[in-house]
Amino acid sequence: MKDFEYEPASDLHLAPGERSTSVLREPGLIGAAAHRVTRGVARTYLKAAHRLDVAGLEHLPVEPPCVVIANHTSHLDALALMSALPARWCRRTYPLAAGDVFFESPRRASWSSLCLNALPVDREHGRRHAIQNLRDRLGRQGCVFVLFPEGTRSADGVLHEFKLGLGMLVAGAAVPVVPCWIDGAHRCWPRDRRWPRPGPLGLRFGPALHFDDTVNRRRGWEDVVSACTAAVAAVRDGGCSRP
Amino acid sequence: MTSLERLIDPRFAFDNPVTVGLVCVAVALIALGLVLPGVLKKAGAIQAELADEVFVRSRSWVVLALLIGVPILLGAAWAIAGLFVLAVLCYAEFARATGLFRCFRVTVSAAGCIALVFFAVLDHWFGLFFAAVALGPPVIAAVAITADRPDGYIQRVALGVFAFLFMGAGLGHLAYFANDADYRPMLLSLIAATQLNDVFAFLCGKTFGRRKLIPNTSPGKTVAGAVGAVILTTLLIYVLGGFFLPDGFTRYAPHIIGLGVMLSVLGQLGDLMLSSIKRDLGVKDMGTTIPGHGGLLDRFDSLLLVAPAVFHYVAYFRGVGENQTPHLITGPLLGLPG
Repeated sequence: MKDFEYEPASDLHLAPGERSTSVLREPGLIGAAAHRVTRGVARTYLKAAHRLDVAGLEHLPVEPPCVVIANHTSHLDALALMSALPARWCRRTYPLAAGDVFFESPRRASWSSLCLNALPVDREHGRRHAIQNLRDRLGRQGCVFVLFPEGTRSADGVLHEFKLGLGMLVAGAAVPVVPCWIDGAHRCWPRDRRWPRPGPLGLRFGPALHFDDTVNRRRGWEDVVSACTAAVAAVRDGGCSRP
Repeated sequence: MTSLERLIDPRFAFDNPVTVGLVCVAVALIALGLVLPGVLKKAGAIQAELADEVFVRSRSWVVLALLIGVPILLGAAWAIAGLFVLAVLCYAEFARATGLFRCFRVTVSAAGCIALVFFAVLDHWFGLFFAAVALGPPVIAAVAITADRPDGYIQRVALGVFAFLFMGAGLGHLAYFANDADYRPMLLSLIAATQLNDVFAFLCGKTFGRRKLIPNTSPGKTVAGAVGAVILTTLLIYVLGGFFLPDGFTRYAPHIIGLGVMLSVLGQLGDLMLSSIKRDLGVKDMGTTIPGHGGLLDRFDSLLLVAPAVFHYVAYFRGVGENQTPHLITGPLLGLPG
């Protein structure tokens, strides 16, 4: 018989108020239910109002862990990815969101953590130990991280340079990185618009990248970033199923 | 008292002298706990750090006493709802501390079984209550099969069944007392005596303790503390029971003494059970819900073994809820006899 192996929640030692803003947070039953409901509502809305079309799901690994990276032009992006990824991954899927936006107040932090299952990223300082915690969780707990490596929503809808944090997260880790291009989100809900307008939205996943042998130093991070930027651009140029 | 009055009518809250006495003592002790540390700190009698720690613990006790006491005084429905919330939160703490919460099906099935137990309690349907306790483990084991993941199956099911039996069925037995017309003094006495049992063990251990009781599990516990707690808790239960039961001091004296011994011994074993769990898991506390105490389980661990044993003991000798209408919800809905 196999020995019992206990793995307490990573955030067990944190006070309830601290959990929502910690990268160690793991959702319990209530969090998982809230996340599942949010996914269902988002999926229904995106199908109805944006005729969400998803292609290339065969490029996702059979089981987590993996990191999904995409271009970022709109608040619809995270919802679209959350809706497109397999429902059975729901509980282990964590969008990495800007700490200074999605976790700036206790109320917003509660919503981001409970409904989106988002984890905060410090965009100003990108604290090293926080990224190390994320790396540890990725491999050990089989998570799916949804990441927008441009760091912020693109104002003009064009793909911008990726931040080095992506390299720090995946360089040398045995985790596939799946590139994705989101088309139409910028037209539907750009940065300067208060509410979204209906319109077609397409998601296309590309072949996974592997950085197991990449050195986990600055040079390696830069290699990761350039390879990932090229991969997302290639998925874009390969065309989405919707114009 | 009719069933409806028992469930939601707070006018009968202070009918029993034991309820009045316990509420007064609780208020006095908490007030003392809030004021005394500050006074002793100002007088320089104790260190500032210790005074602050005692103050934080006392403040937590105020919140706990309100959360426990107010629903019990308001009515049985509130008491059952409060104990259901406590059971679910304790279950959640256990699931997070052991990692069980990552097994979605087991977590959900155990939570569902806990809900069924408490529904049976609220309905005052002992048959369903008994069935839910007995059928919970097979349900959890069956649901876990559907994940088609034999690796680690025994651990997942074992943790789910353990959590259900102690947090769900255990606290469910405590909630079932709320189906008795005299549930207020019963529940308050039980909870107060179980909590004071810990205090007695601590004080007796500090004063007379020499020999360790069970050092690998809990190095702080001593034989003197355990024996002292049994004596003092039995005395407390004897006094409370004597006032509470008609002819208590004469007719029921041996039963009440037995109850006191049982409550004290099982309360201490419940405490040691949680210590064993925490040492096995390698965690200091089961959570951070209560400042100064740790998790809810750290505070209510003693009740887990006490509740079912005391319930069946009292039900055997006295009966619980026999003068109240059963099937309060299912009766009108399913046509069951009321």
